[in-house]
Amino acid sequence: MGNLRDRTAIIGVGNNEYRRMPASVSPLVPLAAAFRNALDDAGLQRDDIDGILVNIGTPFGVDYDQVSEAFGLDIRFSDQTWTHGRQMSAVLGHAAMAVDAGLANYVACVCSINWARAGTVGAQGQFQDDREIGGAHFEHPHYGMTSPGGAWAMAARKYFDRYGATSADLAEVCVAIRKHALRNPQAVMKAPLTVDEHQSSRYVCEPLHLFDYCQTIGGACVVIVTTAERAQDGPRKPVYITGMQGMCAGRAEATGSRPGLGIHQQDEDYPVPHPRDLRIYEMAGVDRKDIDAFYTYDAMSSIVWMSLERFGFCKAGEAWEFVKDGRIGPGGELPVNTNGGLLSEAHVSGWNHIVEMTRQLRGECGERQLPDPAFLQWGTNRGDSLILRS
Amino acid sequence: MHASTATAGASARTGQEVAKPLPAISDFNRPFWEGTRLGEFRLQRCKHCGKVWAPNGPVCPHCFSDDYRWEKMKGTGRIATWVVFHKLYHPSFAGDLPYNVAFVELDEGPRVIANIVGVPNESLRIGMPVKAVFEKIDDEITMPRFEPAGR
Repeated sequence: MGNLRDRTAIIGVGNNEYRRMPASVSPLVPLAAAFRNALDDAGLQRDDIDGILVNIGTPFGVDYDQVSEAFGLDIRFSDQTWTHGRQMSAVLGHAAMAVDAGLANYVACVCSINWARAGTVGAQGQFQDDREIGGAHFEHPHYGMTSPGGAWAMAARKYFDRYGATSADLAEVCVAIRKHALRNPQAVMKAPLTVDEHQSSRYVCEPLHLFDYCQTIGGACVVIVTTAERAQDGPRKPVYITGMQGMCAGRAEATGSRPGLGIHQQDEDYPVPHPRDLRIYEMAGVDRKDIDAFYTYDAMSSIVWMSLERFGFCKAGEAWEFVKDGRIGPGGELPVNTNGGLLSEAHVSGWNHIVEMTRQLRGECGERQLPDPAFLQWGTNRGDSLILRS
Repeated sequence: MHASTATAGASARTGQEVAKPLPAISDFNRPFWEGTRLGEFRLQRCKHCGKVWAPNGPVCPHCFSDDYRWEKMKGTGRIATWVVFHKLYHPSFAGDLPYNVAFVELDEGPRVIANIVGVPNESLRIGMPVKAVFEKIDDEITMPRFEPAGR
C-alpha cells in the first residue's frame, strides 16, 4: 500500500473578504474573488486547473458544473459532496489522491457559502428533514427537533452530566478562540469575550448559549492541490499533506458527539482515543506532541472538547479542564483554531481553517504567527484528520 | 413540553395559525404510526439475531438480516439527555417555547427522540424514568410522548 505522506501539497489558497451577505448574493460572487486570489497565490493560470472538487452545493453553495461554466474552466476531474458542512478534510484527501493518481494535475478545492440563501439553518421544511430516518442533526420536526444546534446541545448536556463540567467551563473555549480572532484582521468578531458575557447571553438551545454557536457569516475559500513534484515550481513554499484520514461513520458516531459519549445509538463502553483514530500520526511519522497547533470544526464550542479527546490530547472527560489556563489560546501549549475558527472568524465549513494552516506554515500570519510551526493538525469529533507541514 | 402540543400554534411573525409538522409516513415506518394509534410504542425486532433497533430501517443493523417483525416495546425507559429550545425555528412551536426534546433510552436499549410531558423543564434530569403516553392528533396521527414514570 502506498503511503501518501508528503507526496502532495497545497500550493495556493485564497478567500474572499468575510462579511455578512444578503440572500440576494450568489455564492458564485465571493467564490470568484477567492478563486482569483488562490490562482495568484499559486502562480497559476486559470487554464492550469483541470480538477475541481466542491464542498457544499445548492442552495447554500455552488455546484461543480455551474462553477466550471461560470469561470470558464476546462475540467477533467470533478466531484461534489453532500450539501453539508463537515466534509472539508475528506474533500482535501480526495484531491490529494486524485493528483497522486494522475487524474488531474491541479485540483481546486472549492467552498462558497451564503448561509442566508436557505433561510434559518435547520428550520423545518429543509431538505435535511426529508431523510427517511431523521436529519443530519437528528432533525425530527414533528417533535420540534428542528435545528443543528439541538444535536450539539444533546451531547453537551450528556457531557456535563457525565464528567461534571458546566456551561461556564464551555465558555472557556469560546473565550480562547475569540482571543485568537482578535489577532486576525479578517475575523468578523472584533470584540473581546468574557466568561460572564457568555454566561449572561441568551440560550438558543439549552444548555448552549448564544456564544457557543458559530457565526452564520459565510464566505468562499479555494485551496489548490498538486503533487509534491509540481509544487516545487510555484512561487510559494509548498505546504505538504503529510497525513490524512477519512471521516468515520456508523453507529459509534453521532452528530455533536465523539464515540463513547452515549448519544443517539452510541455505546458508552468504547475506547477513547480509539487506536484507529491515531493512525494519522503513523502515516505522518510524527508524535502527537510534535503538533504545534490544532484545528477543528468549531461550529459549536463543545466540538473542541470532543475533538481533543478523540485524538488523545487529553483523556475522555478531561477536555473541559484541559482547555483552561490559556492552554488553547494565543501563546498556549496547544493553540486551537488560530484564525478564530468558525466561532469567531467566519463559517466556511473548515476551509478557512485550512487557509489559515497554510499561511501559518508559510509564516505569513503577522501578529498571530505561531513561532516556526512544523506540524499542524486538523481533526474533528468524527475522526477525520489532516496533518500539514511546510 | 409546557404547553399543550395541539396541532397548531400561533406564528410569532404573522399571528396566523401555522400547522405543526406531522411525521412523514413512509412504507417502512408505517407500522410504527399504526402502533401509536393503538397505544403501542413499536420497534423492529430481528427474527435472526433477536435484537431490536432504532431508528427504523429496512434491515437489522446488527446482523444485516431483513427478516424482522414490528413489536410492542414496554414503553418505559430513562432520559438519556435532553435540550430545551428557547429560539423559535418552526413558527408552529411559538406557543410552546421553551420546550424540551429528549433522547429516551428505552428499557430494550435503543434511544429515540421524544418530548417529555407532565413535568417542568427545570425538573428534567438524565436518568429520570419515563413511560410512553399517546396524544391523538387526528385520525391518522397519534404522537408518542413520555412522562415521568415515578419508579
